[in-house]
Amino acid sequence: MNNITLGKYIPLNSFVHKLDPRTKIIAMMILLIAIFIPAGFVGYGIIGIFLLISLISSKLSFSFVWKSFKPSLFMLVFLLIINMFIIKTGDVWLTIGSFNLYSGAVIQTVYIVLRLLLMIVITTMLTATTKPLDLTMGLEDLLSPLAKLNVPTHDIAMMISLALRFIPTLLEEAQRILKAQASRGVDMESGSFKEKIQAILSLIVPLFVSSFQKADDLADAMEARGYVVGAKRVRYKKLKFTFFDFITLVSVSGLLVGLILLKVL
Amino acid sequence: MSIHFEKVDYIYSPNSVFEFQALEDVSLDINMGKITAIIGATGSGKTTLVQHLNGLLLPSKGFLTVNDFTIKADEKPKNIKELRKQVGLVFQFAEYQLFEETLIKDVSFGPKNFGVKEKEAEMIAARALVTVGIDPKDFVKSPLELSGGQKRRVAIAGILAMSPSILVLDEPTAGLDPQGAKSMMELFKMLNKEKGITILIVTHNMEHVLEYCDEVVVLEKGQVIMHTDKKQFFKNDKYMEKASIDPPIIIAFKKKCEEYGITFDSDILTIDNLVSEIVKKRGKR
Ligand SMILES: Nc1ncnc2c1ncn2[C@@H]1O[C@H](COP(=O)(O)OP(=O)(O)O)[C@@H](O)[C@H]1O
Ligand SMILES: [Mg+2]
Repeated sequence: MNNITLGKYIPLNSFVHKLDPRTKIIAMMILLIAIFIPAGFVGYGIIGIFLLISLISSKLSFSFVWKSFKPSLFMLVFLLIINMFIIKTGDVWLTIGSFNLYSGAVIQTVYIVLRLLLMIVITTMLTATTKPLDLTMGLEDLLSPLAKLNVPTHDIAMMISLALRFIPTLLEEAQRILKAQASRGVDMESGSFKEKIQAILSLIVPLFVSSFQKADDLADAMEARGYVVGAKRVRYKKLKFTFFDFITLVSVSGLLVGLILLKVL
Repeated sequence: MSIHFEKVDYIYSPNSVFEFQALEDVSLDINMGKITAIIGATGSGKTTLVQHLNGLLLPSKGFLTVNDFTIKADEKPKNIKELRKQVGLVFQFAEYQLFEETLIKDVSFGPKNFGVKEKEAEMIAARALVTVGIDPKDFVKSPLELSGGQKRRVAIAGILAMSPSILVLDEPTAGLDPQGAKSMMELFKMLNKEKGITILIVTHNMEHVLEYCDEVVVLEKGQVIMHTDKKQFFKNDKYMEKASIDPPIIIAFKKKCEEYGITFDSDILTIDNLVSEIVKKRGKR
């Protein structure tokens, strides 16, 4: 629990940190689309190399990304097991009694693992290199065409950024409550089913109570500082689109086009 | 029965940008049967220190022994549940840990986790709630209906119900009104006197240290820089000034007297000390 990395901003001074948040959001979306182009292992290899370069230039450590990925390992193992029984395409690679392991099952699982890994790297890079406030501003700007259709873009952006902002706070709170309950003899690991349910309740209920309290306090604090829902706001800080942003977007788009070509040809 | 820290280091989030050494080379022996105050500026590592006592945190280096348990790096102590039963740890703002529908259920949660049967657990819980001063007719209320101070008392009852032999309290009076804080301290004093429970209290309140505690441990930047009995601690004017600790009013009064050339022969720690010394001086004239 101590090393939760999900959604955490890591203050470093790197090329990626300095990019315009809008650039990073668009780049993230393009990359996420690119992942779903079925260009085979070559395609994933290309995306992988691209991300590796970006990761190095963001100065984030590999162990940091690995920690973000670790929680999904359990799910992946589960998926592998299910796939092994369900997918029956390709050649038989292994026979144990009446059970056949097909190549399709393995390849399919490897694909899923790769996709998930790449997605986590991409989203982690965005949240780890962009301050929550910058992220909001970027989102709001990108959504601004929708404002003409009376979509409350500022409110949406504010909600998203508050949600992101509170992920680490909630995790911290959860950790604190877990410790407090552990001091009362709660054992999250062993115990009967009933005890486990009780243990989870002892975490969830206080977490909800304190979250609602925090939400209330936050709303009050925002109002006290003159925040009015739906009011027009001006900005102190302006986002700047630089040459490096241009380069980044061109290369990401190039990557997408390249992958599509690879698939089509 | 003992609490002993041996060269304990603790590092949060090692090998990351958030790496932070919260404890450094802490060696410490806590006297059993006493009330020990743990003081120090915010961020000096008080919470980190006390969370080692029931194995919530394991030292990054060094070890500590608590009663028969050894807590060291990379290895959860055997039978950690028993350790947590013996060392009751009350968190700062403990009221946030309440989760059951009624007070009695919440307080009996601890004993039940340690294998006590429902009926008996509720009896233990009722006793603990009475001890902390909750009215029996409130036992079936929801924790949400109580005031902050009452909630905190219930949370403390939740720990007392496990009948620990060592009670650790992390800023138990923070955010309470002066009267509530005082009666809370009285409660701890009573538990110490009548049940012989060893008590460690993290606090910023020097009046409380003077009035209720026996020993003082001072932390600074993750290091124990002082561990003395209360009398010695409050004689150390220079340190208090340097650490910008506001002395308790009695101590400040005594110091002011000394500045004006009035000296006292014996230690002044309570109003009674002070008055009897003044009476003695008047008698001499
Ligand atoms: N989970 C954590 N991760 C990283 N640093 C922490 C964590 N908890 C506390 N710290 C840091 O450790 C230091 C000591 O904290 P703490 O023991 O809570 O101090 P105190 O209780 O004396 O105020 C502080 O500087 C704090 O920022
Ligand atoms: Mg603290």
